[in-house]
Amino acid sequence: MTVKRLLLAGGALLVGTSAASASGFQVNLNGQKNNGMGGVGVALTLDQAAMFYNPGALAMVRENGVQVGVNAAIARNAFIPESGGGQSNLRNTLVTPANFYAGFGPKEGKWKIGIGAYTPFGSELHYADNWEGRYALTDINLRSIFAQLTASYAITPQLSVGAGLVMLAYGDVDLQKDVPLTAQSGAPTPHVTLNGKAKQSFGYNAGIYFKPSDKLAVGVSYRSQVDAKIEDGDVRLRDVIYSTGGNFTAKNFSATLPLPAVANAGVAIMPTEKLTISAEANLVFWSTYRTLDFTFSGNNGYGDRPATGTTPAVVGTPGLLGGSSTSSAKRYYQDALAFRLGGQYKVTDAFTVRAGGFYDMAAVKDGYVTPETPDADRIGLTAGASYEFGKRFGIDASFLFEDFLKRSQSQTDLLNNGTTDRVAGTYKTTIAVPGVGLYVKF
Amino acid sequence: MNFSAKHSLPALALLGLTLGSCQPTLEDTRPTADAGQLNFSSYVAVGNSLTSGYSDGGLYNEVQAVSYPAILAQQFAKTGKGPASFVQPAFSAARKDGSGYIKLQLVNGAAAPVQPSAANSFLGEQVAYTGNNLPAPPLGSGQPELEAYTGAQPDNLGVPGISVLSADRTASSTGNAVLDATTRATAGAYGNVNPFYQRILPAADRGVKDYVTYIGQKTPTFFTCWMGNNDVLTYATAGATSSLTTNPFSGLTDTTSFGRGYRNIINAISKNGTVKGVCANIPNVTAIPYFNTVTVAAVAAAFKAQNAASPGVFITTSGTPSVRLATSADLLTLTAQAVVATGVGSSPTNPLPSQYVLDASEITAITTRTTQLNNIIAKTARQNKLALADMNTFFNNIAAQGVVTNAVNNTATFASGNLFSLDGVHPTPRGYAVVANEFIRVINAYYGSQVPSVAPNNYRGVLFP
Repeated sequence: MTVKRLLLAGGALLVGTSAASASGFQVNLNGQKNNGMGGVGVALTLDQAAMFYNPGALAMVRENGVQVGVNAAIARNAFIPESGGGQSNLRNTLVTPANFYAGFGPKEGKWKIGIGAYTPFGSELHYADNWEGRYALTDINLRSIFAQLTASYAITPQLSVGAGLVMLAYGDVDLQKDVPLTAQSGAPTPHVTLNGKAKQSFGYNAGIYFKPSDKLAVGVSYRSQVDAKIEDGDVRLRDVIYSTGGNFTAKNFSATLPLPAVANAGVAIMPTEKLTISAEANLVFWSTYRTLDFTFSGNNGYGDRPATGTTPAVVGTPGLLGGSSTSSAKRYYQDALAFRLGGQYKVTDAFTVRAGGFYDMAAVKDGYVTPETPDADRIGLTAGASYEFGKRFGIDASFLFEDFLKRSQSQTDLLNNGTTDRVAGTYKTTIAVPGVGLYVKF
Repeated sequence: MNFSAKHSLPALALLGLTLGSCQPTLEDTRPTADAGQLNFSSYVAVGNSLTSGYSDGGLYNEVQAVSYPAILAQQFAKTGKGPASFVQPAFSAARKDGSGYIKLQLVNGAAAPVQPSAANSFLGEQVAYTGNNLPAPPLGSGQPELEAYTGAQPDNLGVPGISVLSADRTASSTGNAVLDATTRATAGAYGNVNPFYQRILPAADRGVKDYVTYIGQKTPTFFTCWMGNNDVLTYATAGATSSLTTNPFSGLTDTTSFGRGYRNIINAISKNGTVKGVCANIPNVTAIPYFNTVTVAAVAAAFKAQNAASPGVFITTSGTPSVRLATSADLLTLTAQAVVATGVGSSPTNPLPSQYVLDASEITAITTRTTQLNNIIAKTARQNKLALADMNTFFNNIAAQGVVTNAVNNTATFASGNLFSLDGVHPTPRGYAVVANEFIRVINAYYGSQVPSVAPNNYRGVLFP
């Protein structure tokens, strides 16, 4: 079965998207059991999701299995501008990041292979109509689905390694904003939509898992950067004012969004057979994201003018959006650390409960916050439970509540940083993510 | 399923729904509106066209409604010590377009500013001309009369076109007795000269009450005064050409007359320094789009496109020789556009007339005088313990780098810059909102009040067809 076929088999569940649940526009909801434990996983062998958290740990997962998980991320955001009106809220949306894993290997064998699909990056936000930042952004929907093919090998009963091919199997972006021009006729404000699909591209991940005793395990893993490269995306324009059409001729755009590398290191202790506690740190190499650059091309004809009695026909200058053929916006992200702690307790052979939490530091620096990623340091608390039916089937439930620290920037900050393409004010976001997963072991 | 699982799984789901519907509410930590020591219960604005809400070459209800004094009154009211009402001399609904205003219209597929006139039926605008004319010169201008404003004396006393020299019948002090007598008499009869002043005066006051006396009738608790612009601007926009015999107010006002007139204005409105307020000074008129939109380089390029041998743009100046090729140091007026389009300026025998050109020496004379008059304004403000809004510096900054308002870059570029209206001199509603915010900043800094600023993006820029 190919990765693509599996993706299709995953069907509707695998429309991966979310309000970013981790620093920058990451989504850390890639294993339902892990979700209940504060997102730890690099030093654990809970289930087939190990191939995401640490490919090296997959060989140590005892059973073969297939599992799916789906989450309902409910983001709530409030914004108060520095000057002018009062609080504006997001138009509420529900997004559903999902994950799928299958791992196979010979019983009691030393190796294992796995395939998986998950959604490590994404963001969907719809700001209120007429909010103060509408000329920077009104809507964003960034989606990505990664597919992964992993092989893992246990060198000794204590030490295993693994590596995988990671593929950006599907990615798309939809960015919308209003244009600050007013029509005589009282027509609606002109509106731009940039919509494009990313080219498929490849990366890798690798990991080492070491379990010197029944009571201790450590793991490290790394996933490489994958670039979401969009070529020939669509520029869609609404309500362009006729006399300004010459500045809005673009039909297509290209842009590249880096989906950065992540390094993880963690430790797990198992004081009893029933209890597992794990702590880990993640370092996301966000500093690769310096600028967001668009290049525009094509000619939609809005700048063309027919000949008149005194003037010849005019063909508009192609590839302009707002009078410019390129745009560059400063992002200047910084590498971001996250610290996670989680545990699980087997109440009975069939029933397991989990809890955890994390502190995730912002990738976006002060004075650089954009409406597309209202990033901030955030605290997450999680809970989860699993119930297994006859050692074969199981259901996982997880819940995450994430509280972003309040983030303010003033117009002075923006002027000092040269980032006046965004809006001054205070953001506050919370996200609640209930999730459920099903698994089969054999 | 055992007991605990049966209960914890639905409990988790319930927790999800509860927390998921939890909308964060931000505590509004912005300072609460506070008038501090100020009392805005009777706010009066003294000034010229900028104060009246003049835009696009005319005074009309839409922009008058968002004049900077109207925006200030609205923001003052948020302190709880603001005016219950702020009266502006609006035109009647059926004549809401007042003196008429320039519009962008499509000419051969491109937007071009078109001036309203009787010939084009005032572009369909509902203008307020009565068909009568003001009294003929002398002591009158013979200009078309506008519909009279019949309400109580307004709180916005801005009169388009008025200067310090024309506001005070005792100001003119050039030392030339004949000229001073004419200028003073004309200022006294200003209600028969300026149709915008005439329309707000009661009939009995027309031609007999000067502006200083008129504003002295008000009893404000707070005022703004932005006067003096036309003491340099009228001269500048006419290309530094003036005829004091036909219009005694068309020159650069001398410092003695200005000082006398300005002090009388401040004394009248501040009740001899007992009422708090703000004085705004004169922006650098050569930085406005009126002088920076039609450039020598662009006109020369247009001539070259028609005739490859064209050496450049020929202009008439006050220097010698009187006709010469223009350089990048010469500024052309916005109104020169229509003239050069007909080929004027393309040859030494058909030079661009002086009224469309400011040469380097004229620019120096205007900026030097602006500085001198601003010194008088600053000194008068200081002596009366009034705040000073340095609009000269403020507009120089805008000309240099624009002003960004919530991700929108507003500049001093003609039309597309959002700030200046189609006459190239007066702000758009967006521009007036930015000006109001500067007044608010100065008032808060000087008086320790917390008047909230406005969001300029809620006010429009230029309207495009």
